[in-house]
Amino acid sequence: MTTAQLDIFQTLADPSRREMLHLLSKESLTINALAENFDMSRPAVSKHVKILHQAGFITIRDIGRERYCLLSQDGFTRLQEWISYFDKFWSNKLKKLETVLNNKANA
Amino acid sequence: MQDKIQHNYFYQQPVAEVWAFLTESELIAQWLMPNDFKAAVGHEFQFHTRPMPNFGFDGTIYCKVLEIVPMQKLVYSWKGGPEPGVINLDTVVTWELQEKGNGTALSLLHSGFSANQAMIFGIMTEGWLKNITKIADLLNAPAS
Repeated sequence: MTTAQLDIFQTLADPSRREMLHLLSKESLTINALAENFDMSRPAVSKHVKILHQAGFITIRDIGRERYCLLSQDGFTRLQEWISYFDKFWSNKLKKLETVLNNKANA
Repeated sequence: MQDKIQHNYFYQQPVAEVWAFLTESELIAQWLMPNDFKAAVGHEFQFHTRPMPNFGFDGTIYCKVLEIVPMQKLVYSWKGGPEPGVINLDTVVTWELQEKGNGTALSLLHSGFSANQAMIFGIMTEGWLKNITKIADLLNAPAS
């Protein structure tokens, strides 16, 4: 079965996939446990899982005999990158403001 | 997890002087970024910096003045994204000034970085995704 690669917006546009992410934000689940929450066939659930995986929203890990879906850390990582970027950004800018203010005083 | 940035800085200049550098477009540009800021609540303005495609950021920061207390407090929204109309960074910048000796204690709070991924999905779901779904529903609705 081939699944066309969807972008993150198309991936999230589907209510079932959003619900899957909500469930996985609470706990990691096997595909079977995930499927129990939905009124759809197991292959249909697998297809959604595959789409979420391809878009980078979840990772799939084999633990024992079970195949688990885990919410991906990418979102967190990106947020951390933003925060540390702006942290440095502001630190530099505030120093620059000091230089500008002092130069003005000496002018 | 950290979800905000906080900086405190002391300047030897009086509050009025520091305030001017926070609220006059040309003065802001000298230390921060080119901008079209105006000190009026509700005014929408932009900062321009270098794009960072890795962050999904096109270099434009979309802001709106939310609160002004002259010489004391200035609050504006701080949003960005990969292209016009798409926002993936939705934060708020709060400046507070306090006279300290002959100088000024300036505090910066950059907040609104969602700490929880579930919350991001929640926000997305509540916000523009709802609109997308609405459009999809309308498109899929059987013609009556």
